[in-house]
Amino acid sequence: MKLELQHGSRTRLLAFIVLGLMAIFVVRLFYLQIIKHDEYVAMAMEEQVKRLTIPAKRGMIYAMDGATPAKLVMNTTVYTLFVDPQVIKEKDRANVLKTIRRIAGGNVQPSIEELISRTDTRYQILATKLTRTQAELIKKETLTGVGFQEVSQRYYPEGGLAAQTLGFVNAEGHGQYGIEGKLDDRLTGKDGLLQSVTDVSNVPLTIGRNNVNQPAQDGENIVLSIDKNIQSYAEKALADGLQRTKAEKGSVIIMDPQTGKIMAMANQPTYNPAEFNKVQDGAAFNNGTVSTPYEAGSVIKTLTVATGIDKGVITPDSTYVNTDTITVGGKTIKNATKGQTGTITMQRALNYSLNTGMVTIAQRLGDGKNINVQARGTMYSYFHDKFGLGRQTGVELAYESEGNVVLPNDASGAEVRYSNMSFGQGMDVTMVQVSAAFCSIINGGTYYQPTVINGVMDGTDFKEKQSVVAQSGVISQATSDKVRSMVHTARSTFYAGSDKKGFEVGGKTGTSQTIVNGDYSDDQTIGTYLGYGGDDAPRYVIMVQVSGKNMNLEGGKHAMPIFTDISNWMLDYLKLQPKG
Amino acid sequence: MSYQRTQQFQSRRANNWNRNQNTVAFVSAVKLGPIAHTVLIALMITVLGLIYLTQATRATSYDYEAQKIDSQIADLTTKKGDLEVENARLTALEAVKNSTVAKAMTTPASTEYVRQ
Repeated sequence: MKLELQHGSRTRLLAFIVLGLMAIFVVRLFYLQIIKHDEYVAMAMEEQVKRLTIPAKRGMIYAMDGATPAKLVMNTTVYTLFVDPQVIKEKDRANVLKTIRRIAGGNVQPSIEELISRTDTRYQILATKLTRTQAELIKKETLTGVGFQEVSQRYYPEGGLAAQTLGFVNAEGHGQYGIEGKLDDRLTGKDGLLQSVTDVSNVPLTIGRNNVNQPAQDGENIVLSIDKNIQSYAEKALADGLQRTKAEKGSVIIMDPQTGKIMAMANQPTYNPAEFNKVQDGAAFNNGTVSTPYEAGSVIKTLTVATGIDKGVITPDSTYVNTDTITVGGKTIKNATKGQTGTITMQRALNYSLNTGMVTIAQRLGDGKNINVQARGTMYSYFHDKFGLGRQTGVELAYESEGNVVLPNDASGAEVRYSNMSFGQGMDVTMVQVSAAFCSIINGGTYYQPTVINGVMDGTDFKEKQSVVAQSGVISQATSDKVRSMVHTARSTFYAGSDKKGFEVGGKTGTSQTIVNGDYSDDQTIGTYLGYGGDDAPRYVIMVQVSGKNMNLEGGKHAMPIFTDISNWMLDYLKLQPKG
Repeated sequence: MSYQRTQQFQSRRANNWNRNQNTVAFVSAVKLGPIAHTVLIALMITVLGLIYLTQATRATSYDYEAQKIDSQIADLTTKKGDLEVENARLTALEAVKNSTVAKAMTTPASTEYVRQ
């Protein structure tokens, strides 16, 4: 009995112990699997599930090469070579450096001996911008402690061509200036996401219920209306022109007057977008044709004449008495060109760029003697509302300036101001505004919104964008014909021998004073030339501007030769046929 | 209006079964005890587990294949990009201007236009 009792108590004791142990396990498992469930699932997910970003490719930028889009901005992968100085043994350093120098060549950083010796650090960059071939050659050497980092960067096959129109992409991958800055969202695209269980080598596995595979949306491939051949020639002609004139700055814009598409925008000084970080003066990033408003001077006379003819107050043969001076609001306005005195026609006033003639037109828009409120209102309606001066054109480039045209009823918008405006002073306008306005007065009166976008590339298909008519009937067809003829005559009077025979080329000079120390200065002037060319119809509009500190630059002498150079080349490039 | 079944049909197999109900049934000489049952069940579970593991491993091996193909695609895409860059570099205006063909060109003395 005693033994059985002892036997029974041992069994029970063992059973209790086992039960107790099992209870501990159950409680522990309950704690781990029920109470701490979410925490451990999260830990497991963090360990097993990787979230990989699929980077979207930045859209490429194309220019036109005649009728075919050609790549102007591309993406390329380069490699940054780095080392871990703590891993590389001292005896191996010489071999590592020798190999890197042999293969990386000019991509090696300065003083790499010092960098590789910094054993207190674990990351030193020894070479940058290596090509894939260079990186693969170094990888084959199986050097310990050497690694590579892929870097996607913009590649410009045409170098600095159209630099200000393109802009650049900064180190953070954001577009700056030009089309890169303005259309950054469209070019950037949207990164994709790959969420998956991975193995130790980060290879995504199909097991798991929470896998996500969201492909990246690459940025749009944008085709510019810029023709790379025209752009290249315009840049060369501008650079040559500045060299001849010793001017410091210059800009050229070339537009198609039948569509509003911009075919070239050249600026000096310029830069290479691939080396934007080496630019000393940030002003080089600005596109002078859209970002720098100025008093354009006598080229605006074409718009004043168009306004006068369209309102019916003058014709090309209308006359006025020119005394080389005219008094407005107590101020005397003089002609820059003297001697064409007496009763002369408006055509002659335009030919010789006489300020008195333009002030006369402004007066005739009012009561004939004063540039009254009615005259000022009419001028503002044409200049600002119809021709788009003093307001953004909407061209797809960053930092477009608005300029300024003073309201007719503004305190400063008095008679003297508007008399100055009639010959291009007293208002700030950009070259793109003036060019677009000029296009409208020579193409029959249609104002096309200026654009640098010609379409998009969808795979290998080019989808062309239609031109946008911002305003039709800006002036009548009859007015347009007359103004075009007057501008042609104005150029022919002095520069007929400069143009190729059989083509219709017209233009107008502009020499504008600049404000120095609060006053208009004759010692610092900006030279401008605005003109068109074509066969049966105008095919291009070119506007040239040259300037320099303390330099007296004239439209006819300094800007016009650049126009002529480009114009004669354009006639050949566009394969236009001469008349007669 | 409703229809009623007027005759019950039985299959021939069912009739045969009924016919052979009184035939002698032989009892197997092999007896499986509880341990054998447990072992069999354990074996079945093991086999099922092995089948699952085989399938999972096979699926994972496809992942590695897919990954390898993805890598090849990425590699070829990079090479294509490099070639496009090289093509653009060789057809750039400066490269064309400096080519021997371009250098050998001369400006025409006169131009004739064909009337269309």
